[in-house]
Amino acid sequence: MEGGGHGSDADREEDDSVSDHLKDRFRLSVISIAEAEAKKNGMEISEPIVTCISDLALHYTEQLAKEFELFAQHAGRKTVYTDDVILSAHRNEHLSTLLRSFCNDLKAKEPQSERKRKKVSKKEDKATASASASVIHIPDV
Amino acid sequence: MEENAFDPDLIHAIFKQLWKRRALEREKNENLDAMDCEVGPGTSNKRNRPTSAHANALKLSCELLRIFISEAVQRAATIAEAEGSARIEATHLERILPQLLLDF
Repeated sequence: MEGGGHGSDADREEDDSVSDHLKDRFRLSVISIAEAEAKKNGMEISEPIVTCISDLALHYTEQLAKEFELFAQHAGRKTVYTDDVILSAHRNEHLSTLLRSFCNDLKAKEPQSERKRKKVSKKEDKATASASASVIHIPDV
Repeated sequence: MEENAFDPDLIHAIFKQLWKRRALEREKNENLDAMDCEVGPGTSNKRNRPTSAHANALKLSCELLRIFISEAVQRAATIAEAEGSARIEATHLERILPQLLLDF
């Protein structure tokens, strides 16, 4: 259970890539996704195929981690942003547009709500300011 | 669809482990270089901080992996359907694998 980050350097070097605990959790997620997808297509999926797909996905994840780090480094950052993830799909135009729209959805869901509120409040301030100005002007005329 | 998705925390844990290992390797290499050049190490710790990830980037990676898996299953399913089989077998995955790996 403690395979996470508490092992010594030697422990980390022993296992080739990701600790077994994480691998198992990853595999479970893959199984649930693959089986749900097969059911949606009205198909059964044999177990060795699911295992095979999960190995593929894990390999893909490791490659992605490497790629994200390189992209972030190239941009002079230490943090991976959504742009790096979208960039990793640059070969596949359809996939990158899909990811971009998903990213926009994510952005729309959370932080922009505050910004929008601020913007709206600013606009309202201006509106009220201009309104009050006009209110002031009207009696002048 | 949302129940069958990756947990961003899981992906984060995997990424963190990989990045930590790479940072360690980098540090080791740098120490070797430093010994060769006889330059005192000391500033390397700050520069070799492992990479971290933004929350939305992790969510996006989860989606990317989910698309990868569902694409693999769907493509294999179409091949299986064309062959008149109701079960996805190894041969079906074999058929779609080259194009799948090219597309991702």
